Amino acid sequence: MPNYLKRMFAVGAAGALALSLAACGGDGDSDNPSSGESSDSAEATAGGTLYYLQHYPFESADPQRIYYGLELANFRRTIYRGLVAFPVTEDPVEAAKPVADLATDTGTPNEDASEWSFTLKDGIKWEDGSDITCEDFAYGASRVFANDLITGGPNYILSYLDVKDYPGPYKATEAQQAAFDKAITCDGKTITYHFNKPWADFPLAAASLSMMDPYKKDFDEGAKSTWKVLANGPYKVEGGVWDKNKGATLVRNDQYDAATDDPSLREALPDTIEYQINPSDTSVELIIDRVIADAGNDQYAVAAPTIPPTRYSQIQGPAKDRAVLTDSPYNFYLLPNFKSMTNPDVRKALAAAVDIEGVVKARGGEYAATTAESIVNFGVGGYQDNPAFAGPNTGDVEAAKALLEGSGEKMPYPITFTYSKTDTNDKIAAVLKENWDAAGFETKLDPLTDTYYDVISKPEKESDVMMAGWGADWPSAMTVIPPLFDSRPNFSSTTCGQDYGCYQDADFEKIVDQAANSTDIDEQNGYLQQADEKLGEDTAYIPLYVLKNYYIRGSKVTGYVVTPSTSMYPDLGAIGVEH
Amino acid sequence: MIAYAIRRLLIGALLILALTFVTYVLFFAVPSDPAKQACGKNCNEEQIEQTRIALGYDQPWITQWTEFLKGIVQGRQYPADEELRANNPKLVTDCEAPCLGFSFVNQQTVNKILSGALPISASIAIVALVIWVTGGVLFGILAAMTKGSFLDRGLVGLTLIAYAFPSFFIGKFLITYVSIKWGLVDYPAYQTIADGGFFGWLSALFLPALTLALLYMAGYVRITRSYVLESLGEDYIRTAKSKGVTQRVLVSKHALRAALTPLVTLIGLDFATLLGGALITENVFAYNGLGVIALQAFAADDLPTMVGLVILVGTFVIVANIIVDILYAVIDPRVRLG
Amino acid sequence: MSNPLLSVVDLKVHFPTNDGIVKATDGLSYTLERGKTLGIVGESGSGKSVSSSAIMGLHRGTNAHVSGQILLDGVDLLQLSNEDMRKHRGKEVAMIFQDPLSAMHPYYTVGNQIGEAYRVHHDVSKKAARARTIEMLERVGIPQPDRRVDDYPHQFSGGMRQRAMIAMGLINNPALLIADEPTTALDVTVQAQILDLLQDLQRDFDAGIIIITHDLGVVAEMADDVLVMYAGRAVEYGTTKEILTHPEMPYTWGLISSIPDVAGDTSARLIPIPGNPPSLLQPPTGCAFHPRCTHRDKVPGNLCVTTLPELVPGQRSEGHLKRCHIPDPDAVYEREVLPEIAPDLVEER
Repeated sequence: MPNYLKRMFAVGAAGALALSLAACGGDGDSDNPSSGESSDSAEATAGGTLYYLQHYPFESADPQRIYYGLELANFRRTIYRGLVAFPVTEDPVEAAKPVADLATDTGTPNEDASEWSFTLKDGIKWEDGSDITCEDFAYGASRVFANDLITGGPNYILSYLDVKDYPGPYKATEAQQAAFDKAITCDGKTITYHFNKPWADFPLAAASLSMMDPYKKDFDEGAKSTWKVLANGPYKVEGGVWDKNKGATLVRNDQYDAATDDPSLREALPDTIEYQINPSDTSVELIIDRVIADAGNDQYAVAAPTIPPTRYSQIQGPAKDRAVLTDSPYNFYLLPNFKSMTNPDVRKALAAAVDIEGVVKARGGEYAATTAESIVNFGVGGYQDNPAFAGPNTGDVEAAKALLEGSGEKMPYPITFTYSKTDTNDKIAAVLKENWDAAGFETKLDPLTDTYYDVISKPEKESDVMMAGWGADWPSAMTVIPPLFDSRPNFSSTTCGQDYGCYQDADFEKIVDQAANSTDIDEQNGYLQQADEKLGEDTAYIPLYVLKNYYIRGSKVTGYVVTPSTSMYPDLGAIGVEH
Repeated sequence: MIAYAIRRLLIGALLILALTFVTYVLFFAVPSDPAKQACGKNCNEEQIEQTRIALGYDQPWITQWTEFLKGIVQGRQYPADEELRANNPKLVTDCEAPCLGFSFVNQQTVNKILSGALPISASIAIVALVIWVTGGVLFGILAAMTKGSFLDRGLVGLTLIAYAFPSFFIGKFLITYVSIKWGLVDYPAYQTIADGGFFGWLSALFLPALTLALLYMAGYVRITRSYVLESLGEDYIRTAKSKGVTQRVLVSKHALRAALTPLVTLIGLDFATLLGGALITENVFAYNGLGVIALQAFAADDLPTMVGLVILVGTFVIVANIIVDILYAVIDPRVRLG
Repeated sequence: MSNPLLSVVDLKVHFPTNDGIVKATDGLSYTLERGKTLGIVGESGSGKSVSSSAIMGLHRGTNAHVSGQILLDGVDLLQLSNEDMRKHRGKEVAMIFQDPLSAMHPYYTVGNQIGEAYRVHHDVSKKAARARTIEMLERVGIPQPDRRVDDYPHQFSGGMRQRAMIAMGLINNPALLIADEPTTALDVTVQAQILDLLQDLQRDFDAGIIIITHDLGVVAEMADDVLVMYAGRAVEYGTTKEILTHPEMPYTWGLISSIPDVAGDTSARLIPIPGNPPSLLQPPTGCAFHPRCTHRDKVPGNLCVTTLPELVPGQRSEGHLKRCHIPDPDAVYEREVLPEIAPDLVEER
């Protein structure tokens, strides 16, 4: 369940998307231009202090437990290096190609991509001066399994790694630990991962998420390590502990050797990066106001939140030059309930009537969102418009009416539309209801507050249509389509899991299996395109919009760039300050 | 009086016990699932169940409550796993009595969370209290003494305006204009007396305390004004006037003393409530006091922190009530505590 | 004729309100000799307390309009500055009030409050003021005054509190003491003690006393002269003996009728005055008492309704003033009123 979305809505529309989880995205589609180009006038040189103004606290500073996209993106550039990482580039294709980081290359798979080997570089060290070893990597991965002691974070390797009933390193018996040591093997500096099925996009996962990152056993105190940081990147946390509600100051890590790094990954320009976290509900506007005012230290500031609609009018003159509009990695869409809307023509009628442009307007207009043509984000590898939703985006009420009349159902056809209650969503719901009712539906609005996702994941519910959002965990539709529509990992007796529409289709699942068993990313993407087309034919979802990011920074920030490599967050790999 | 205070404290302790019970009941009555939320994306049932165990929400709630009570008396360890303690002692957190619980969301004992946030809330509350009581009482007396005049109407009008603006508005206005746009003061960021010295501490608190104080001050101007006016209408004021006492003595000795009694009650209770965190003000200024902790605890379904806050705030209110009652007896000789 | 202690001339106390002017006291004149007692009688709202408060200057600082003259020892109190008036208050003219419990500050000791009255006007130490206070408490008959001086008002009984109030009023040896319903809030047995005390002290201190009451019984016991007020004006004025034996105004008759047990005769009837006190905002035309007057038939024409009677000398003496149109009031009283309320007195006359 995307609890991140629950939290997104909890903090309100303005601060919403930055609260989301890991995602990689980009500008794959030429129909959706963005202006994410770097616009630094001053020469980018090392030194100075960068201020990073953030509007919500992280959940953890433990690499195995981090799931926020912003945190993953920023920490990858500063304190936590991985086997591989995405290079600083605005080209979405290049940005989705991992570069060797702590490893000497981007990994070698076996024939069916169920085994991956990496060799570690020489001279890579923890901030305490000790070497980063193969065993540190294995230990880090083993910690993901201890989710009875340390909770949260991405858990993909639980289902991929070839080991059974492993409880994590803290409680494992010798036999259990021995079994794990066969799943991840070390041979000197070479580490090999043994999976129980092909994992063609494993390097993408290792670059995007920090779950596979090394962890030093001596440093580990389980849950007590949540905020402790042992860095291996160009920066370390002053004092060694991240303050959840305050942030931290990142200073240079003297044990870091730039010679072991790839210049395309991190330039590490500022001497100091000072994080200022303001966890309050009103922080978005306050941070944006500060950066617009551009006074004092705020001239050296990067704002994490995107500019809220209430401040659009102030982005003029010099402030406009410091603002950047890009796509975000987050897609929003409608889901018909397959337990109640069993007639495919009814679902098609529902989709035909949706006025996506009206919804975008309700969402806040061109600075807030853009129309979506699929549930998959533009920046995800192998993205294509879903042909089922090719028509006009303004909603064709007449066509919808004809479809509904032809479906043989009684009209008006009553539906209940369930959505998470916010002011913006209320507006969106009103836009949707207008067309649906005109097309012959009788729409009952069902706004829910806190328990929204708990309610819509239930198999038995009043809802006929629901609204949801998603961002990919790494730039592959493998982290979009299967988790949201494959009934097998989702269904149990009490829940439809994240498959809120309770969609279940054997043909679809066959295609998903083919994608999962692919040994090559391009082949995999081909199957995923097919799977998406199938979803479109069945109207398993109706795309609405992709959120936009509208960022601003201080006037003395250099090298400012928003890249798909960092999930469309400002890329700290290239950003510096005048000094 | 000591016996009285002890009896009141005992009753208060029972009340707090009942409050914690109610908190548990309400928490488990709400159909949201903290384990599901903590587990995150792509979690299956089994993983959610494991998370539930890690969070300590797997036991029946009544057991959780009694365990919690036991922890207050004899302390607890997290996780309560003897085997883990033997093999991996580093992983176990000891929470000494009186242990208010362990917040898995924050990975800290509730005692530590609260003791970290309390000084911030208390600092704001104290500085705000000084501003609003001084300003509120002075302006209130001034308004009462000039009743019906331009000054009085002006003051009463201003209090209405201050009332009309919610404190998040005032706070944001102060930050946006006084700090950001006009640059008159630094962007407020809390510092302790140890870090910034007394004046550093005070200047960092000025804007949030003022925000909070303005609202309360508005109330206190009106309340003081009406209490002073009420007591100025008392027979004993006429008596004092008939004796020939000066206006100054009349107000300061005779009228104010009587108006003080209800004011003391208000001040005591308002201050106690504020010690528990000024939700909006702390939020606007990003001062991570108990108010911010409370909001986060509710957003994250963090029961141990919520219960800890209930105990803390409950204790403040109860103790404040006792102190107010004792002050009553000091102010008003007719009241004798028995 | 020597200068009287107090001479009130054409005193008016008007309160402007949103609905018009309330004439609480409207053209009141009387005099009081040193060592004598004047009783001012009337219902609540008749202006008796308002006019006395004007002597104390208690309307200063309010929106009341006070005009006329209040000459105390030849000094017009209305012409004094606020500060000079304050210096007069409690020193030259003192006042005691109806309910001694509410009239004393609950948070300060009795001694503190009495001592304060002394120290306001005398530059003495607290100790000296305390000694003087104890002396006064003893004088008004408080037992163990050196101990009770530190008690709070709520620790005193009602009668003791009023004694303490009297001590407070007399501590500066004022020329004039105004007692506003001093016994109303007290038990009957205590009432008599307090009145005795006042008379006793009056002799010692040689003070003029104005006693404000609605009770002619109190007047009969205490006062040398009586002023009957109705709707802000004097309606009858004269010596106590004259007024009580030969009242010439139906309102006074009503007051007399409502004295319980005038002469200990159990056959006497208590006859309440019908109707309610008039509105001061819109007082009745003509004689303000006419709506309640049961003797209007003795007045020819519609005079009572149209014309305000002048305050003129009565039938029997120049000093007896009355405000009534009835041509031969003494006869009416004797013929119609007296038999009703005190049949035995009729025979005596």
